[in-house]
Amino acid sequence: MAVRIALAGNPNSGKTTLFNALTGSNQFVGNWPGVTVEKKEGKWKGDKNVVIIDLPGIYSLSPYTLEEVVARNYLIGERPDVILNIVDGTNLERNLYLSTQLMELGIPVVMAVNMTDLLEKEGNQIHRDQLALKLGCEIVEISALKGTGVNEAAKKAVAAAEQKAAQSVHAFDKCVERVISSVEAKLDSEIPQEQKRFFAMKLLEKDQKIAELMNNAPDVSDEIQEMEEAFDDDTESIITNERYVYISNIIKDCITNNSKKKLTVSDKIDRIVTNRWLAFPIFAAVMFLVYYISVTTVGTWVTDWTNDVLFGELIPPAIEQGLLSIGCAEWLIGLILDGIVAGVGAVLGFVPQMLVLFIFLAFLEACGYMARVAFIMDRIFRRFGLSGKSFIPMLISSGCGVPGIMASRTIENDRDRKMTIMTTTFVPCGAKLPIIALIAGAFFDNAGWVSWSAYFVGIAAIIGSGILLKRTKLFAGEPAPFVMELPAYHMPTVGNVLRAMWERGWSFIRKAGTIILLSTIVLWFLMRFGWSAEGFGMVEELDQSILAKIGMCIAWVFAPLGWTQGGEGWKMAVAAVTGLIAKENVVATFGMLFGFAEVAEDGAEVWGRLSAVMTPAAAYGFLVFNLLCAPCFAAMGAMKREFNNVKWFLFAIGYQCGIAYLVSMFIYQFGTLATTGVFGVERSFFMGTFITAAVLIAAVGLAVRSMIRDKKKGKSLQCGDCGSCKGCH
Amino acid sequence: MPLSMAKIGEIFQIKKIGGREETRQFLETLGFVAGGNITVVSEINGSMIVNVKDSRVAIGRDLANKIVV
Repeated sequence: MAVRIALAGNPNSGKTTLFNALTGSNQFVGNWPGVTVEKKEGKWKGDKNVVIIDLPGIYSLSPYTLEEVVARNYLIGERPDVILNIVDGTNLERNLYLSTQLMELGIPVVMAVNMTDLLEKEGNQIHRDQLALKLGCEIVEISALKGTGVNEAAKKAVAAAEQKAAQSVHAFDKCVERVISSVEAKLDSEIPQEQKRFFAMKLLEKDQKIAELMNNAPDVSDEIQEMEEAFDDDTESIITNERYVYISNIIKDCITNNSKKKLTVSDKIDRIVTNRWLAFPIFAAVMFLVYYISVTTVGTWVTDWTNDVLFGELIPPAIEQGLLSIGCAEWLIGLILDGIVAGVGAVLGFVPQMLVLFIFLAFLEACGYMARVAFIMDRIFRRFGLSGKSFIPMLISSGCGVPGIMASRTIENDRDRKMTIMTTTFVPCGAKLPIIALIAGAFFDNAGWVSWSAYFVGIAAIIGSGILLKRTKLFAGEPAPFVMELPAYHMPTVGNVLRAMWERGWSFIRKAGTIILLSTIVLWFLMRFGWSAEGFGMVEELDQSILAKIGMCIAWVFAPLGWTQGGEGWKMAVAAVTGLIAKENVVATFGMLFGFAEVAEDGAEVWGRLSAVMTPAAAYGFLVFNLLCAPCFAAMGAMKREFNNVKWFLFAIGYQCGIAYLVSMFIYQFGTLATTGVFGVERSFFMGTFITAAVLIAAVGLAVRSMIRDKKKGKSLQCGDCGSCKGCH
Repeated sequence: MPLSMAKIGEIFQIKKIGGREETRQFLETLGFVAGGNITVVSEINGSMIVNVKDSRVAIGRDLANKIVV
């Protein structure tokens, strides 16, 4: 029989590091059923019969966050054989709060005290035997980072699982204990003896979700009343307080506190890095450095090498020779070389640059700075209805939207997380940069402002969406208050940084191998097959192809955006549609549509042809459309997974495309007005200007209406919100 | 007084935590309990990094206003 060890602990306690140290590469990553909380399972390196389940990092077993509910449902429902509770030795008091709850579950607990080396460096000491005696469970000192003691911890856990004896549980105040026993007596035989205490306490805490789990939850209102009258407080606070009293009582005897330093090194760094005046300049400098290195210097070298050497001189000729030597049909060689290798190669060309960016971001996250960035940015983001925690997904999205969307998981508040998923891909990702280069080169003489403005448009779209969406019913209300534990600054290990980088990079590479591979094959067929004079078959002229027919059918939609003016609107339409599959496709599609077999990354060959069929205003609009509209298939897939709800997913996609269409139209219509004195011309004139005007009026109306509503309300908060009025005290 | 007015570096005792039930409970699990000590490590316009039970927690200004010391 396999032994199941559940790994539980606070966020930042080193849980993931311990999990990696115990399991190595024997990991399986999935989701907890029904929710988007990541579930990691692995086999212990020391014994393949031991399965380790990594529970989400939690502070308690209360019903307030998704992670806590997931963790406790697992612990109650699946009953692992043993809980390995990792606690941060430098922060024992707070970490033991969760431990006291874990010990009430009636499952054997083994405690791994992490970072004791740091503690000793500060001159403090934990008396392990004393602590083990008081808590009634096995205690192992470990350093997850260095890997010391981790296998001993796993061995002790396995031993505890085999003994099956759950530890005796701590006692609280007499009155509290009496009430708990009285509730325990009311529980029927459905609840096993060893779990009675947990259920009794949860009922006293008025935990609805636990009551729902029970078939017949007894009525405990008398007990609750008795306790609340005795302590003049609500039951939840009483029990919380009891836990801390208990913890501080045992901790007195178990820790020798010799540190005289009032300020730790980490605090000293925080004094500077999160200083009122220096926080922003330091943050700006760090970001500049990260992007300068990963985009301009190192990034360019590695990208050039992959594009020119790896996917230029090395791979394609080798494949061509290989195919020729086995006598492959010419059309198939065309498909493989022009379609698959060129398409997938173009995507993989971004990988090295992206990995460089992700190394930096992983380092900033692991060393603790990223959490401070969320704190610094919160003040600004709050004004637009977003949380500071939304900033990290956005930074990652500047590399690739897929890991960016996945990074939104760290945001606890559901509303904030949904908003982040919807808006984070407005940030230009690596794959959108060639489109920017194409438009800048073809229409604006390579002006630098084009790329700067692209980021500006992305940020403006996020801010605008924040303000706009908060005014809708879906996102109404204040953003959740900002609370975030900050890990102490520390030097991360190379392995952990590389692992984090690889996890994100891999989600991008996987997309190149699946969705983009498939789409390039489909595109190739759509482009090479069609109706000619001889009927359906392979066609020479592109405008006879299926793709051209599709483009011509939908081109009218984009008339108000000015794409059809030059009579070749279907090409823009086709490029935009391929962009929905993958933004990397856009430049290559233009290349093929204008008759070039292969184009440079910025599509320099087609600049002349492109500028002949679109005005600069329409072209800039085209760029903005591609920046803002629904991202590629891979990112859409990530959005669907993260929303875990089809309606939300469709709403988000519709919203993104709608915003892209409107903004693009504004740019074309007003751009044309500014340059020529009239709105967009010809057929599109009436329709375009009409819609523009209607949207303007609607937007102003909406804003005015909600402002009036706000004024009427007079910012009346619900009682209990302000913390300073009579009702709150 | 509200925590948002507290001086950096001084040790205060938490007297009361206001605000919504849910937020208050979350703060309690993080170690913010009445009677406990709290020190402000850093402050930007009312948003703060505080030391509670040896962990560093960043809180927004609205929360700092609801913690009475």
